[in-house]
Amino acid sequence: MSMTVPTTNPSMAVPESIRLGPSATKESTDNANRRRRTSKLFYLLCLTISFLSVLVLVVLLVSIVYQGHSRLTPTLLTGSHSALAPETSGMYPAIIGSIWICVVCAIAALPLGIGTAIFLEEFKPANRYLQYIHGFINLNISNLAGVPSIVYGLLGLSLFVFMFHIFGQIQVNESSGTEIMGVERFYQVLTLGGGGHTILVPQTDSSQPTLQITAPIQAVDREGNSIEISVWDPKSGEPKPTDPAARQRTVRLNQVGGAYAKTSWYYFRIPFGQSFLAAGLTLTLVTLPIVIIATQESLRSVSPSLREASFGLGATKWQTVRNVSLPAALPGIMTGSILAMGRAIGEAAPILVVLGASVAKNTGPQNLMDNVVTMPVLIFHWAGLQQATYQELAAAAIIVLLVVLLLMNSIAIYFRQKLRLE
Amino acid sequence: MIRPRNDNTMSSDNSDAATISEIPRPIKMPTPMTQSPSVTKNESNSSANTGDVSDQICLTIANFNAWYGSFQAIHDLSLSIPRNQVTAFIGPSGCGKSTLLRWINRMNDIVPSAHGKGTLQLDELDVLSPSTDVVQLRRRVGMVFQKPNPFPKTIYENVAFGPRLHMKLRRNELDELVQWSLQKAAVWDEVKDRLHAPALGLSGGQQQRLCIARAIAVGPEVLLMDEPCSALDPASTLAIEELIYELRQQYTIVMVTHNMQQASRCSDRTAFFFEGRLIESGLTDDVFTKPQQKRTDDYVRGRFG
Repeated sequence: MSMTVPTTNPSMAVPESIRLGPSATKESTDNANRRRRTSKLFYLLCLTISFLSVLVLVVLLVSIVYQGHSRLTPTLLTGSHSALAPETSGMYPAIIGSIWICVVCAIAALPLGIGTAIFLEEFKPANRYLQYIHGFINLNISNLAGVPSIVYGLLGLSLFVFMFHIFGQIQVNESSGTEIMGVERFYQVLTLGGGGHTILVPQTDSSQPTLQITAPIQAVDREGNSIEISVWDPKSGEPKPTDPAARQRTVRLNQVGGAYAKTSWYYFRIPFGQSFLAAGLTLTLVTLPIVIIATQESLRSVSPSLREASFGLGATKWQTVRNVSLPAALPGIMTGSILAMGRAIGEAAPILVVLGASVAKNTGPQNLMDNVVTMPVLIFHWAGLQQATYQELAAAAIIVLLVVLLLMNSIAIYFRQKLRLE
Repeated sequence: MIRPRNDNTMSSDNSDAATISEIPRPIKMPTPMTQSPSVTKNESNSSANTGDVSDQICLTIANFNAWYGSFQAIHDLSLSIPRNQVTAFIGPSGCGKSTLLRWINRMNDIVPSAHGKGTLQLDELDVLSPSTDVVQLRRRVGMVFQKPNPFPKTIYENVAFGPRLHMKLRRNELDELVQWSLQKAAVWDEVKDRLHAPALGLSGGQQQRLCIARAIAVGPEVLLMDEPCSALDPASTLAIEELIYELRQQYTIVMVTHNMQQASRCSDRTAFFFEGRLIESGLTDDVFTKPQQKRTDDYVRGRFG
């Protein structure tokens, strides 16, 4: 075998810069002072830039706190928006609405996103054509992360709110798409009981918006008990019943009842219409790329030697993912997920497209198909109103929103540290 | 060759070293061990010293070729690996010895561009056949890696990881299996008081022995060791080498090493690889003292590589 022994070429002179070494004081070779100055200058530049960005944040926070501090009252957290009384307006429905939308978003986005990331990172195919598909999906996800959220809003509008009108349309008192569960439809008919007492007649033909009572009929009362309803014709000369209980079971002839829907919390229909479910799923689209990329990053940072160790013990792919990769990547996945949920809570544009700009709501959602108000939409609405009180309310609501976001980020950091230590 | 100094191997576990072979195997061992006790207790190692491998072949490699993409890493290699002996693969970096090792338990399946052709048989099992269940294969052929790679779990969980993958064990059975494995890997005395402490808190040498315990906890017949001591200090290296020598009684060990002294100290047979080809193989003493090939001679004398 050939032996390579390093040899020195005697004909080559040692360069002057090396021969003289650090003691050389020649101007051309020794520029230590200049380099030190440049380094210091660069340090100062970096310091200034970072202080500038902090300064902007501080100015923002101070101005918001200055504007909004007077409205940071319990009313802000318990009241709801009122167009007439800004003093008693609050953001309770918006807080609840934001939380619900965030919950829907988390339930949909986390399993989908983490599952996709596991597929992309842990199940890399050996086949060349499958590799192309793999790369194509990867590229698409990176691109999707940069798509403006209002575009997702439009997608959510046709995909979740209308569902391309495949399952019918939603129009007040006319049609509700395809109802699946959680709703009973009645006609609400006024009785002789007085005080606005009504009974409910089950609706059989959904195309009829009203019902005219012409004959005795079977109905239910508010508690759901079945009752026999008799008809009283004022022209017949028959005396009006005097007993209050009997009056509550009697209806005037030709009395007209309007449609009434009794919904349970699990009321479900397609399309989703302007519901918090549609909004949450739209935000899922917005946050999915973020969750996928964060999960991919943290799976990539799991040492391959751990996977090898697991495979070497005869673990299947799933066992390796379940027992080794996922636990090791969990802190990163959780951080990414919580940051993505923070993004979801702060989004206004897609919500405005999907739910509209209405803020007239004083409770959280009553059923799955219910509309909600969210914090960013309420802030958007308040900030656009003329009265100074609403401006202050908007600033106060921003403080609340920031506190919620800060809380979420702190939870993320807490979990990351806790899982790291274990 | 130095023989393991059983009387005072390590000051901390001299009591244990003597009792290792007396520890009963746990009730439910994963794979039935194929070798009979008479073989394992053959202390004189007559078969190791005669060079007769015909009756004891565990792994047969014949006309084996392996590629990474279009690069051929192993050329037409044939080698028999005898049971219950330590076979060392030596050779310069990039000569294909690690590649071959990783083919024996199909670890190269993870590398998308890797493919191999030829015969690779573990007893009657055709290792390369696509129908071979790699999960079962890896249970029979355990692996210890170059760098100690314990899971970021407790010591106990590390050893229990393998058995849990393959079977359902009751708590006490698992405890027993973990203890047995740790004793077999000569770390029990050092870790028995902190079984539920993180494995990453152990020293490098202890971690590597823990990895060996983890590998033998699933009951393999063959142990593949890819430069098991290259990341360790001399004292830990010595401990592992002595352990390898002990384990030989029950397992067929194939190890890759860059350390010629290590190969000569703790292997029975040595195979010298160069540029993807097997240059020479035989009893370690023969390969080191009277090599048949000039390249082997140059290499074992440290003239290159």
